[in-house]
Amino acid sequence: MSMKFSKKNFADRTKDNISDDFMRQAVASAQERLHGRRLDAAEELGSWEEWRSHGEEIRQHVLENLDFYLYQLSENVAKRGGHVFFAKTAEEASNYVRNVIKEKDGKKVVKSKSMVTEEINLNAVLEEAGCEVIETDLGEYILQVDDHDPPSHIVAPALHKNREQIREVFAEKLDYHNTSKPEELALHAREKLRQEFLDADIGITGCNFAIAETGSISLVTNEGNARLVSALPKTQITVMGMERVVPSFEEFEVLVSLLTRSAVGQKLTSYVTALTGPRDEGDLDGPEEFHLVIVDNGRSEILGTEFQSVLQCIRCAACVNVCPVYRHIGGHSYGSIYSGPIGAVLSPLLGGYDDFKELPFASTLCGACTDACPVKIPLHELLHTHRRIIVEEEGRSPISERLAMKAFGIGASSNPLYSMGAKVASTAMKPLTKNDRISKGPGPLKEWTDLREFPAVGNTRFRDWFYDQKGGK
Amino acid sequence: MTGTIQNRDAFLGNIATQLGREQKAKVEKPEWKHQPQRRVLVNASIDELLEVLRVQCEQIHTDIVETTKEALPAAVDGVVKAYGGGPLSLWKDERFAEYGLSKLLETDWPSQQIEVNCWDTSLGEKNIELAEQANIGITFSDMTLAESGTVVLFSSPDKGRSVSLLPTHYIALIPKSTLVPRITQASDLIREKLNNGEKVPSCINFITGPSNSADIEMNLVIGVHGPVKATYIVIEDC
Amino acid sequence: MKVSLFITCLVDMFYADAGKDMVEVLERQGCELSFPKGQVCCGQPAYNSGYVESSKSAMKNMIKTFEDAEYVVTPSGSCATMFKLYPNVFKDDPNWLPRAQKLADKTYEFTQFLVNVLQVENVGAKLTGKATYHPSCHMTRLLGASEEPRKLLDQVEGLEMIPLPNAHNCCGFGGTFSVKMGDISEQMVDEKVNSAMATEADYLIGADCGCLMNIGGRAERVGKPIRVMHIAQVLNSHE
Repeated sequence: MSMKFSKKNFADRTKDNISDDFMRQAVASAQERLHGRRLDAAEELGSWEEWRSHGEEIRQHVLENLDFYLYQLSENVAKRGGHVFFAKTAEEASNYVRNVIKEKDGKKVVKSKSMVTEEINLNAVLEEAGCEVIETDLGEYILQVDDHDPPSHIVAPALHKNREQIREVFAEKLDYHNTSKPEELALHAREKLRQEFLDADIGITGCNFAIAETGSISLVTNEGNARLVSALPKTQITVMGMERVVPSFEEFEVLVSLLTRSAVGQKLTSYVTALTGPRDEGDLDGPEEFHLVIVDNGRSEILGTEFQSVLQCIRCAACVNVCPVYRHIGGHSYGSIYSGPIGAVLSPLLGGYDDFKELPFASTLCGACTDACPVKIPLHELLHTHRRIIVEEEGRSPISERLAMKAFGIGASSNPLYSMGAKVASTAMKPLTKNDRISKGPGPLKEWTDLREFPAVGNTRFRDWFYDQKGGK
Repeated sequence: MTGTIQNRDAFLGNIATQLGREQKAKVEKPEWKHQPQRRVLVNASIDELLEVLRVQCEQIHTDIVETTKEALPAAVDGVVKAYGGGPLSLWKDERFAEYGLSKLLETDWPSQQIEVNCWDTSLGEKNIELAEQANIGITFSDMTLAESGTVVLFSSPDKGRSVSLLPTHYIALIPKSTLVPRITQASDLIREKLNNGEKVPSCINFITGPSNSADIEMNLVIGVHGPVKATYIVIEDC
Repeated sequence: MKVSLFITCLVDMFYADAGKDMVEVLERQGCELSFPKGQVCCGQPAYNSGYVESSKSAMKNMIKTFEDAEYVVTPSGSCATMFKLYPNVFKDDPNWLPRAQKLADKTYEFTQFLVNVLQVENVGAKLTGKATYHPSCHMTRLLGASEEPRKLLDQVEGLEMIPLPNAHNCCGFGGTFSVKMGDISEQMVDEKVNSAMATEADYLIGADCGCLMNIGGRAERVGKPIRVMHIAQVLNSHE
């Protein structure tokens, strides 16, 4: 799956998803649960704002010095016997992985969850090359079994499915005969996947953070699948977005603490694993060969721009979990593997405005995302920056809107013109007004009155009343 | 053996250009303005840390057993029996002897037909198979994080990654003296070792309870790919 | 204390009563009020739609209009937030930046002004019934006025405040979002209306007429009988 996964336009995708009651119920209840958990975790920690500021300063420092930290990281990985490949494009990255597997004569690949491998379309490339690729994160596994349904959430990819739907998928594809109890479904996946882990020749992981000082990569999971992927196959390939590096363990632990609390409200997840190179001499488990693929794929073009802060992201999805728009339209409406507020900022940057220009407008700029972000990315401001570029620099808005906004610029800067406009509006709307309200408005008002009553212009405007009562001041 | 590095110069050169400057050969980490992590539980006594751990164990669905060194064999035996006995998978670790568990491992359990498999480098890959077939994996905790209820395990040739991962159940033996406030102290220790010229182990695991998943309707399921149940046995040693 | 009113487009044209109530509450607190005549719109609708350049003339007009004011007080958290954003809009304009900053610094949303400047929480209001409060997004998150309205409402005699479920979720107004993304906005406002109904409150109180117009307009359309009130109207009730 590459970043874009839908040919439909945004409006159609949204319509489809709004009518999906299962999905909406699942998202709403997940949001409510996580909302409380995240707030509790923050409160329990105390001084949450200071934690966020620390997270922000670490991430900003890394981005400002990214070339140095990636240099240090690659040196230290190589020192420990690992191989590092810097990939400018998605194709370079996935081709490198394919070639490594070919060289090893690898047939079976187990993967732990990784957004960047989705972004570079890795599974399709490997399957085309004749590999069997198995996703092992429970959520990703469910989606893969269901004919590669796209992920709808960056942390809980199968969030849009309820247990009954999952049971049906398992029954149809995996010869499953039990109930829709999550415990039984998970147990079935455990049994199916355990043998795959043991048989696989190649393990592919993402990377939550890479640690420059030691050349380590880290994997944060609850299920333990990333541990299996990195403990059993003879060859491990880790793919990371180039921004996901930290200076040392000192900063690593702070960002992990922010990540797990923000993502799931846990102090730490069940497994946080720091891996350095391939297995040491004498080790009996862990990979004999280790490759680290560092992916740019459009990220460097964000550096040095007003969008640089989006690269601070640690992929916790806290912004997704508080977004009132995501709540109703779900992840698939975004048409990108990156959904929610972070997706609405990132997808147009990595994938271009042609495919994703609607996303920055799918927000009320309510600021809930910015508030929730553990590394203080000003998400709603970045959405606004996209809007400015789309309408002012790219000229991609409808001409009628542009004319209206021009008129607004003139009318709203002069009281006489504004007053005249208000009076004209008042007169024009009189015949539409019944009981002090308008139920069927003309022009742009129609969009409003299709859904809601619109208040009638009062007989006396406030300003006229004020002058009348208090005299002109 | 040193690994290879490909395409680095162009890649990093482009980053520097985007950032509007020359490539940097040296960067000093700044003095961070904020350090909230250094204040968490910093003045807590070891007994207070233990209390934090107790409370946290409820959150992470992990049983906690507290015992003295003398009563340790009986305590471990009890948990093993409660989990249904062997086969067992263990690290090769001199702490088992130090904490008086040799007799249990070498005599008592074998005589009760409880299979005990200590990690043995001479057996090669067979170790992984044995761990996979084990009912219970047992390791010591190298460092224990009170705040999160986490045991930290440093891998080595005698201490395979599989022991805490592949068996159905997991028991961590926690000398009380290994308790520290949080992951901050663990990262300090790792950096200290590094500064002393030691190698970072190829695998460091921070383990917090049994494996779980919330991927189905965000409902927590305990026990997915890793152990389905976990017990911490805290040993009074200080 | 001399206070210049920034009344906002919506109050001027559609909710003059809320404006009048604000006037009476402030006068009772001894404020001397003026209404700078040149005021029009703060520019937010165009600005938030991405038309930053087109919105600047409106912003400059407002900066000039309120140049002589001592305090600027407005019955809208969202419009107050817009004034606070002016310095950012003019950050590269050495002529307008200091003037924008001056305006931002002296601007207060109505409840903020009462609680933080006038230091009053009990304005002597009385309203019998059950009410729930919708915390508007811009006012709460961007302006940071979350406690002030609650402090004032807690002091209203006869009023029982009931928490609004999922209060933190946006009502779906979002200015032009409400018409541009009508399908989504509809879902959001419906949930807000239903949450308000679930409290069984008589009144839904807010401090931003945009949100109130949205929630009230939808409630009326779908026939949900909850009365929507601006907080100034509540604080000026004496039944």
